[in-house]
Amino acid sequence: MTAPTVRAAAPRGRRPAPPPKPPAAQRWRRRGPLLPALLLTIVLTQIPMLLTVFYSLFSQNLLRPGSREFVGLANYADVLGDRLFRNAVFNTVVLTASTVLLSMALGIGLAILLDKKFLGRSIVRTLLITPFLVMPAAAALLWKTSIFNPVFGLLNWVLSPFGVDNVDWVSRFPMASIILVLVWQWTPFMMLIVLAGLQSQSPEVLEAATVDGAGPWSTFGYITLPHLRQFIELGILLGSIFIVQTFDAIFMITQGGPGQATTNLPYFIYQESFRAFDVGEAAAAGVLVVVATIIIATFALRVISNLFREEV
Amino acid sequence: MTRRRSRLLAEIVTVLVAAAVAFPLYWMVLSALKPAGEIQSTDPRPWTWAPTLDSFERVLTVDGFARYFLNSVVVATAVVALSLLMSFLSAVALTRFRFRGRTVLLVMLLVAQMVPIEALTIPLFFLMRSVGDVVPAFGLNELGSLVLVHLAFSLPFAIWMLRGFVAAVPVELEEAARIDGASRLRFTWQILFPLVLPGLVATSVLAFIHAWNDFLFAKTFIISKTENQTLPQAILVFFKPEENDWGAIMASSTLMTVPVLVFFVLVQRRLVSGLAGAVKG
Repeated sequence: MTAPTVRAAAPRGRRPAPPPKPPAAQRWRRRGPLLPALLLTIVLTQIPMLLTVFYSLFSQNLLRPGSREFVGLANYADVLGDRLFRNAVFNTVVLTASTVLLSMALGIGLAILLDKKFLGRSIVRTLLITPFLVMPAAAALLWKTSIFNPVFGLLNWVLSPFGVDNVDWVSRFPMASIILVLVWQWTPFMMLIVLAGLQSQSPEVLEAATVDGAGPWSTFGYITLPHLRQFIELGILLGSIFIVQTFDAIFMITQGGPGQATTNLPYFIYQESFRAFDVGEAAAAGVLVVVATIIIATFALRVISNLFREEV
Repeated sequence: MTRRRSRLLAEIVTVLVAAAVAFPLYWMVLSALKPAGEIQSTDPRPWTWAPTLDSFERVLTVDGFARYFLNSVVVATAVVALSLLMSFLSAVALTRFRFRGRTVLLVMLLVAQMVPIEALTIPLFFLMRSVGDVVPAFGLNELGSLVLVHLAFSLPFAIWMLRGFVAAVPVELEEAARIDGASRLRFTWQILFPLVLPGLVATSVLAFIHAWNDFLFAKTFIISKTENQTLPQAILVFFKPEENDWGAIMASSTLMTVPVLVFFVLVQRRLVSGLAGAVKG
């Protein structure tokens, strides 16, 4: 990557009478203090990425010391030719898209409910956020052993009056079980982002809308929703990135099974790097995950912007 | 009248949803308090008549528990403090200053976050080993290595989150401050910082949680110096080949959740105070 050159942009034609460019020394005095943080951020965040690309071009197996050699794109060819990899891609897409969209829908609903003041609001907000605060591995274990378990599980106990008996939820509905846990875990995240957006709304604008005679629905549709749009998009974008990376829930609840039914990309990579110790192929798969994430995030964003187009 | 009734209905729904959502957490605490025989029973009652602290005792008497706890606190605190400082300054730079490659940089920050950590752990292990030869404090087996890695993974999210908040502060406000004679530094800390605070809270919660819950990096980087291990590794003790100690696993999960909950409750007030009040003041 080329180092970004810090330079003042050419004055835009649209702006009326652009202020005269301050002298270079003054510009640097304004910008200087922020540069170290920015440079350090670039170095810290880009190194892991570059490292992965680098490793993906080498064939290296930790079980055979000294086996490292440059192989170009061979790792990518191997990974893409792997049927298990393509299966993992499919599972990742299903898992991520359904979790992101469901948790965003629920998150928006809850954020709107929480935006108004009521008795005990801060307690309710804290309760709603708890799934996000529990360690994901512990939460997954809890779901598996206490809720989904066919014999000791709470779900069967609660449903037993309705004739449901000893259903093994995880092996009968593996994907749906994982999605349920993930939606439970990620709704608070979406809710927090949307809530932050709701609260950054200028009260003057809302007041003006009320004065102009707008009802609660039209205020929401014409003012709140467009304002929220960037927050919703941010939530979807970041949510997709994080949810594609789901590992703990799958490791704890299904171990990628039954068969390969819930093996997603991170779990596939885990098997490559910590069971087969094939560092090169794991890195190549990692780079491919980046590509997949970009595709999923773009798709999710397109779905949401279509919704907006119909809405407004 | 109907308005008020529907409002009340909405509030009841919210409370019910909140209770359902928090139920697994209740179950975790309950399992930690149940006596040994009651935890895995065919009649999983959502209460217990004989609560006991035995499970907690087993957790707290694990060798080095206090030390692991302290290590986790140090790592998480350092990550939160450094990521707040760096992401705030970077977000201001990336929002307020126009320079070539700015958009590319923003996208690259996100792309960097998309690499699954399972693919990165082994390459980073080798990298940290080399780093340790130059700067021992950031090498393998040191808490510094964990701080660096978590910082790298929390910064992109933080910057993207803050960018919107910084952008929402009108440039006119900045110009007015300059005309009134406020220095750049003073504007940044006294005007911009409070306005961006809700965003900082959200990002600090996430950075804290990530660093606090991390298991994979801690397990890979801290190999021989056991006194530098972090809390999630303490839980492993209770997974035994013959039979897992569920009570202790739930008790340690509960203990791990407490600091995160405390941290969240402490900072959450800032989430509501929001931008609106700050702009008026």
